[in-house]
Amino acid sequence: MNYLIRRCLISLGLIYVVTTLLFLALHIVPGDPAELLLSGGGVAPAPETVAELRDRLGLNDPLWKQYIDHLVRLAHGDLGTSFQDDHPVVEEVVRRLPRTLELILAAAVLALAIGLPLGALAAVRRGRATDRILSGFASFNLSVPVFVTGTILVLVFAQKLRWVPAGGYTPLATDPLQHLVFLLMPAFAISVGLAAVVFRMARAAVLDTLERDWVRTARAKGLSPRRVVVRHVVRNALTPVVTVLGLHMGSLLGGTVLVEYVFNWPGVSSLLVRAVEQRDYPEVLGVVLVVSFLFILLNLVVDLLYALLDPRVRHA
Amino acid sequence: MTSAFDLAFLRRIGWPLAAVCLILLVAVLAPLLAPHDPIRMDVVNRLGTPNWLHPLGQDEYGRDILSRLVYGARVSLSVALLSATIAACIGIVAGLIGGYFGGVSELLTLRVVDIVLCFPPMLLALLVVTMLGPGMETLTLVLSILFIPGFARVTYGEVLSTKNQEYVEATRALGAGSARILFGAILPNIVGPILVQFSLTVASAIVLESGLSFLGLGVVPPAPSWGLMIRGARGYMEQAPMGLLWPCLALVLTIWSINQLCDSFRDAVDPRSGGSTRGFWTNLRAVLGMSSRAAPSGAVAPEVVLAVEGLKTRIVTPTGVVRAVDDVSFQVRRGETVAVVGESGSGKSMTGLSIMGLLPQPAGRVIGGSVRLATKDGRIVELTDLDEPALRKIRGEQVAMIFQEPMTSLNPVHKVGTQIVEAIQAHRAMDNAAAQARAKALLEHVGIPDPARCLGEFPHQLSGGMRQRAMIAMALSCEPKLLIADEPTTALDVTIQAQILELLRALQREHPGSMSVMFVTHNLGVVAEMADRVLVMYAGQIVEEADVATIFARPRHPYTRGLLDSVPKPSHAADTDASARRRLATIPGTVPNLALDRVGCAFAPRCAMALDACRQGDPPLVDVGGGRRSRCLRWSEL
Repeated sequence: MNYLIRRCLISLGLIYVVTTLLFLALHIVPGDPAELLLSGGGVAPAPETVAELRDRLGLNDPLWKQYIDHLVRLAHGDLGTSFQDDHPVVEEVVRRLPRTLELILAAAVLALAIGLPLGALAAVRRGRATDRILSGFASFNLSVPVFVTGTILVLVFAQKLRWVPAGGYTPLATDPLQHLVFLLMPAFAISVGLAAVVFRMARAAVLDTLERDWVRTARAKGLSPRRVVVRHVVRNALTPVVTVLGLHMGSLLGGTVLVEYVFNWPGVSSLLVRAVEQRDYPEVLGVVLVVSFLFILLNLVVDLLYALLDPRVRHA
Repeated sequence: MTSAFDLAFLRRIGWPLAAVCLILLVAVLAPLLAPHDPIRMDVVNRLGTPNWLHPLGQDEYGRDILSRLVYGARVSLSVALLSATIAACIGIVAGLIGGYFGGVSELLTLRVVDIVLCFPPMLLALLVVTMLGPGMETLTLVLSILFIPGFARVTYGEVLSTKNQEYVEATRALGAGSARILFGAILPNIVGPILVQFSLTVASAIVLESGLSFLGLGVVPPAPSWGLMIRGARGYMEQAPMGLLWPCLALVLTIWSINQLCDSFRDAVDPRSGGSTRGFWTNLRAVLGMSSRAAPSGAVAPEVVLAVEGLKTRIVTPTGVVRAVDDVSFQVRRGETVAVVGESGSGKSMTGLSIMGLLPQPAGRVIGGSVRLATKDGRIVELTDLDEPALRKIRGEQVAMIFQEPMTSLNPVHKVGTQIVEAIQAHRAMDNAAAQARAKALLEHVGIPDPARCLGEFPHQLSGGMRQRAMIAMALSCEPKLLIADEPTTALDVTIQAQILELLRALQREHPGSMSVMFVTHNLGVVAEMADRVLVMYAGQIVEEADVATIFARPRHPYTRGLLDSVPKPSHAADTDASARRRLATIPGTVPNLALDRVGCAFAPRCAMALDACRQGDPPLVDVGGGRRSRCLRWSEL
């Protein structure tokens, strides 16, 4: 219980730090924030435009007042308005966030489906050719940047074979099948590297479980090797693997940036890239804020889940 | 670390090191190696195919692809190395200060650095790029910031574990200042982990740099960068797919080489990852070459259930081959309980596992001898000849086994009932309902008060004694001819121990002659209570065999006598006079290392009666009359 409260307080603190840092981000940079905001493309903005923006953003107020206003706006769920189309940033983020989460989830499921059986196979055949080939392949996959995977996938499956579209998106409600077709390639691109991570974890967990006494008991009963591995080894090795995969979900939040760009997936990350290109500050800050919150929250959930599974953590 | 950089280490990291050096060389010598200026355009020949002038062809602006690849290495590596170096310098200092001084300095260094970890790395990078605009300087700054916490944390952890070591204390005692201690005594000793972190960082930096350049937010065109080349070639992948593949290949091979180098570093730095597996496989091959099976001598007498003859088992370790079971021969008769006694490491458990074919894999091998079993249907089966599927039919059905730790021997994630049902269905064609009913009957039989509830409970919900009863129920589920009980009461407290022993005796009494027991234990009190006959094992060999009454009355081997003398006798406890309260005898010395070659009697180094003759030839196990055997040259003097 103590651990739970402490861990939650730390996360709250982190969220506060992130909020403050993002507020300061505009003011840390040398020069006038308003000028900075308007100087995209290297053209010096007209003085009257700068003055108008200073007024609009409240930049003439003292810093402490701006900070309070900033926190109050955030508390009301106001992330400001986009420079490009004057839309509230929060609307666009909320619209796109589920798509990014869907992509991450699909990638995680795929990675688990690929990495877990292969990891178990490599562990059972430890030290033999199967293990060495699979482990070598995994360490190679870990060295391929996700945008390279994505680009090669587009080249082979969309350009050469013409099996799938090169990228895009259809809402689930419009056409469920088409939706899945569009989801497949970006999810697979992410899962290639992730599956290698799952593979390594699964291999280690299964190797560890194989040494356990209950596996010997299962064999002493006269069970078939397949049944021993599936029911008494993989079933037990699953818990640590899924937990650690959860840990990686947080880092995936940043990793989708490149994949969404490659496949034109309209999630929050591609919104961010577009905003960075346009130097649309409110949008950049809004997306970074929301995703960082999510990142901290996900890490909190995984930590708490971990404590639930392993009572020793709670009392540490 | 000095020992880590010997020749064997260099050989092991050989090819990744060579590859990384080659890439570095290419980057340094780029102006010499590149045939053309990497940014000179030749729009007339855009997307030109490979020719003598342009070995890899030309890109969408007619620039030479090979030259751009070579210069790209320069850009990627210089950004990566520079930012990793900056991050290392700041991170190491923060970690050293935070770890060494603790308290407020820890808060000011480590916790501040940790703020970076609140953001997903790519997002933080994009934020900074928005603020400062894209370019090499921004890129280096962003990457440095991102990798500081990694270095700080590694250094911090290492400092915490190093700062109270003796050599640090010694430096402090000599009056050295904090700075001298930190940089002179601590830093040199944590170089290994930091080196690993550095190579990891360089690889991640290259990934991030190329990723940002790919988005058009890293290196600014027209400067050559692999990420930018992929970005450019993407638009023309249909016409010129090779223009896309070359930078991909360069990028992946570079990252891969660095990662491989990093893995090798880690193996060298981290003693736990060993790296001595090569020794293991060499030893295993040697053991596989040793296998030799002699045909067992003569027929098996009708009352014998198990006949073991000349059994030899080897356990392969990276450093040597352990003679776990060394020429062991014995028999178990119908309905009999044979106790196998010895210290830990004497080979008694390995004998049981060898019979079952359950040796740890791939380390354990039976390399010689014969194990014959009289099955329920009256056949004599040579177990060492059976393959895995045939052995599976023996396990559980003909020979069952219970183990020392009922907590760890039952699978924690499956219900007790499921685990018993599984044992039944492995050998009997029974549907789930029938198997459940039989499992319930079995649990009742072994004295579990509420068998119906126990079926649906998980192992951790039962007490230790109940768990062992459930294990016994599982072992009995197919009415085996032989039960191998491997220290079944060692992990239990004394009263529970007595109950379990009583249960095993009662089960054997119920149907006299139906089940034999091979009882592996180190507890002589349990032996006296359970056994008909006793085998004493030492260093993988049987040193004495006798029936239980005679062995307690008159041991014929000094080791047996030593074991008996080291057990408190009830008569002594009752006596109050001083002579009876003398200290218990112990056997001097320790169990020998069974991986080493040995000449003479294995017990001789610990034996008060040892002669020169004992240290020369291996004494044979001789028949000393009355069905007794002893492996002592001086048995008649005992």
